[in-house]
Amino acid sequence: MKLWRWRDVIRMRLRSLLGRERVETELDKEMRFHLERLVEENTVAGMSAREAREAASRMFGGVSQIQEECRDMRRTQYLENFWQDLRYAVRMLGKSPAFTVVMVLTLGLSIGANSAIFSVIDGVLLKPLPYPQAERLARVFYRSDAYPKFPLNPWDFLDFRARNRSFESFAIYTRADVQLSGTGDPVRLSTFRISSGYFRVLGVEPARGREFEFAEEKSGSGNVVILSDRIWKQQFGGAPDILGRKLLLDSQPYTVVGVMPPGVDHPGNSYNAVAYGDTVDAWCPFVFQGNSASRGSHYVEGIGRLKPGVTPVQAAADFNGVMTQMATEHPADKGWTIYMVPLFQEIVGPVHRMLLVLVGAVGLVLLIACVNAANLLLARAAARQREIVVRAALGAGRWRLVRQMLAESLLISIVGGVLGALLAVSCVRVLVSFLPAGFPRMGAIHVNGMVFGFTALIAIATGFVFGLVPAIQVSRADLQQGLREGGRGSSGSGRQTRLRGALVVGEVWLACLLLVGAGVMLRSFVNLVRLDPGFRPQHVLTAQVALPYESYKSPDATVSFYQRLLTNLSSLPGVNAAGAGSDLPWTGYDDNTGFNVEGKTAAPNEEFHGRYHVASPDYFRALGIPLERGRFFDGRDKRDAPNALIINEAMARRYWPGEDAVGKRINFTDDKPKDSDWFTVVGVVGDVKDKPESSGAEPAFWWPSLQPPGTFGNMAIVLRSSSDPVLLTQATRDALHGIDPSLALANVRLMDRVAEGQFSTARFALFLVGLFAGLALALAAIGIYGVISYSVSQRMHEFGMRIALGANGWNLMGLVMRQGVTLTAVGVALGLGCALAFARVLDSLLYGVTAKDPLTLFGVAVMAVATATLACLPSARRATGADPMTSLRAE
Amino acid sequence: MSKPSDLIQGTLDLLILKTIALEPMHGWAIGKRIQQVSKEVLQVTQGALYPALHRLEQQGWVRGEWREADSGREAKFYSLTKAGRVQLAKELEQWERLSNAVVMVINAAQEA
Repeated sequence: MKLWRWRDVIRMRLRSLLGRERVETELDKEMRFHLERLVEENTVAGMSAREAREAASRMFGGVSQIQEECRDMRRTQYLENFWQDLRYAVRMLGKSPAFTVVMVLTLGLSIGANSAIFSVIDGVLLKPLPYPQAERLARVFYRSDAYPKFPLNPWDFLDFRARNRSFESFAIYTRADVQLSGTGDPVRLSTFRISSGYFRVLGVEPARGREFEFAEEKSGSGNVVILSDRIWKQQFGGAPDILGRKLLLDSQPYTVVGVMPPGVDHPGNSYNAVAYGDTVDAWCPFVFQGNSASRGSHYVEGIGRLKPGVTPVQAAADFNGVMTQMATEHPADKGWTIYMVPLFQEIVGPVHRMLLVLVGAVGLVLLIACVNAANLLLARAAARQREIVVRAALGAGRWRLVRQMLAESLLISIVGGVLGALLAVSCVRVLVSFLPAGFPRMGAIHVNGMVFGFTALIAIATGFVFGLVPAIQVSRADLQQGLREGGRGSSGSGRQTRLRGALVVGEVWLACLLLVGAGVMLRSFVNLVRLDPGFRPQHVLTAQVALPYESYKSPDATVSFYQRLLTNLSSLPGVNAAGAGSDLPWTGYDDNTGFNVEGKTAAPNEEFHGRYHVASPDYFRALGIPLERGRFFDGRDKRDAPNALIINEAMARRYWPGEDAVGKRINFTDDKPKDSDWFTVVGVVGDVKDKPESSGAEPAFWWPSLQPPGTFGNMAIVLRSSSDPVLLTQATRDALHGIDPSLALANVRLMDRVAEGQFSTARFALFLVGLFAGLALALAAIGIYGVISYSVSQRMHEFGMRIALGANGWNLMGLVMRQGVTLTAVGVALGLGCALAFARVLDSLLYGVTAKDPLTLFGVAVMAVATATLACLPSARRATGADPMTSLRAE
Repeated sequence: MSKPSDLIQGTLDLLILKTIALEPMHGWAIGKRIQQVSKEVLQVTQGALYPALHRLEQQGWVRGEWREADSGREAKFYSLTKAGRVQLAKELEQWERLSNAVVMVINAAQEA
């Protein structure tokens, strides 16, 4: 019932607004009809035609008055007034194009920056993850005193899966790339081994075929594969008969049992990481094999779907209960607790703080733009005082005047908003391309309806905020004084001047906050870049080679393959050193093992452990990792020679403090060591930290690639070049195919790019905060210029008098400058004080500097005052041009 | 002749709604009908009638429609909407309460 009524009401209002002419004609017609009936009645009563007409008009009364009353019933006069205000606003703004352009541009830039950052926030922080009920997904890690976040052991996983009561489904996954051959050039597929419940946990189902079954986790039955939609289309042309097809993965036949739908995002992994997003090509079953009692090896990542209503904290308690049970059954499970983290937090956690800082920074810019706009509007209002006073004198009500001023500011802010939206649309792609590689949820960043809604909202809010102060100020105008002063064109009351001064102080204050932020981020970035990474990433080409197990089953086969490859590569022209290793620095490699140190016993609760790697003789030279003591590997370290090891300084320091580690021995056996079980340290190399800003390196050691403790078919190739390393790409591929044409040269990268990737988050934040600070400073400069320039034009008369009384140009310039610098100094003092108070916010983003850095604070103060001086200069020079004769004549 | 201010606030609306509840009517006929039915006691002026009609239309209680009148000319006929019917029932009830109350007060005053 209500609804019908509102439909009618809305129909009527729209008709009154849009069909105005028709409504008016109908009103006329209705009145005329009535009048004619009156005339008719009078005629019937016996009057003559003329008498009847006259009598009718008399009886009817004022037609236009009745019509006007009918019109009032339409209740649309507010809107009509608004249109009137808007048309007037357009005319007024058109009259001062410079003012309008400055306002629209500054607001457009600030609104655009806010929209662009909002689109990032929306995509990364606000949108739910693309899994059904994603809030119930949680990642499961181990935690110990030494390792805050550690992978799971596969056998532990089976126990957790069987015994936990918190998860609806629980799964593990681990990266295990495979090489697809037999379909043209061999390609490396980014592949994960997953337990059977994995996709059920994520809540996604294959578009074709099926998920893996429990039976496929058993040894000997795991040769099945699920393809991603992308690979199915790229490599198999989207063939409809893909299910059941046999593929050669690492030279072994695999049957395709499923194809995932497009847009299945990888939930991210921390071990041998693949970025979050559409990054995985294929999935194979995780096959449990070997001894279920051996719990020391940790390399699988846990993910689970919580039962409805169960929190991660409750689930962690449940898991810890299971962990305690397991520790009584398996000694290797002692010392671990469970670290459970919601998937969303795990994915966006690392960038959360940075994004909030960006929001703060860009919000400050908008605030400054508002203050600036209010300031400019006030200046204009002062210039328009006469017009406003006249309108008020002619009967315009106070609210009518406020509405008129608001219409103008809203018009400006809405045009600015449109500009900002355009800016956001065109900038978001650029912004995303600046994002560091591996930034979470990059693919979800789009300018969408949400972003446009936000833009509209801030545009309108901005218009109200910066329009209200001048509007109220104007509506308070003193009529008498205004009319009297109006004649001379000077009307800036003391109160207004003070208000505008305060606004400038506010602008400088906020800009200083941003400048301090940008300054300390710059210093932190310089600190990061200046850090010694422990290796020389320049002129280094790297690539990945994986030997399929079926063709290279024995360690001898892999050893001789890599020996041949490296010999061929080092003879290439331009190659200074060619090496191969199990991994590269700064790529997240984290394989650890325990060992025994000759002559030492580990403290209780602390084992001897270290990160293990494999390296060829020239690996360290190619990467530029310095040798501290002993020697690098060389041709002597062959399979039949004594076992050699190279360790890093961190390991030497930890296990042989104060001793020379070279010549010391360790073994990896649980039994009584035989002679052949011992490994002797032959060299100590410099530390390479995990991340440039890590406080120290983890203990690490290298086995010689010529005497590996197992089959290492998957190696990273490192070439140090004397010129541009990119030029070596083709020659390297040729060298590889010269030995085995079925192999793919994967992941060809420049090491300095890999290294730069480590700074990209810091660089991204610095770039944006710097940009915003620059924008803020420019806005503050506009504000200072506006206030001082206005004040000078008000005081020209006074300046003329001063010249007449003997002041020279320098005195006058000093006067003007002092005014500008005083305002700035107050703003700087407030800004720096505020920066000190909020320093804590930035600390987690900074390296080697705090937000209370005195040098930065000083620099910001100097910069702000210098900018203010520059902004005052044109006005100061104008002051010196005051004409004493004009002033004297006017007196 | 009674001016709108003589009618108790809202009574004109009630009279109009009640009058057109029977059949759609144009403004002239509404005025005439009220006059006739009230035995010439209530005379609604055009100056009050038309703004009231337009207000009721804007509020969605009545709907205007151009139709041929018996004179052969086009006239704007007002009819009750569904919402208007509900509103009429409400106003009638209110009016009854009010007039009963007035009668009670008057009777009490006479007894005293």
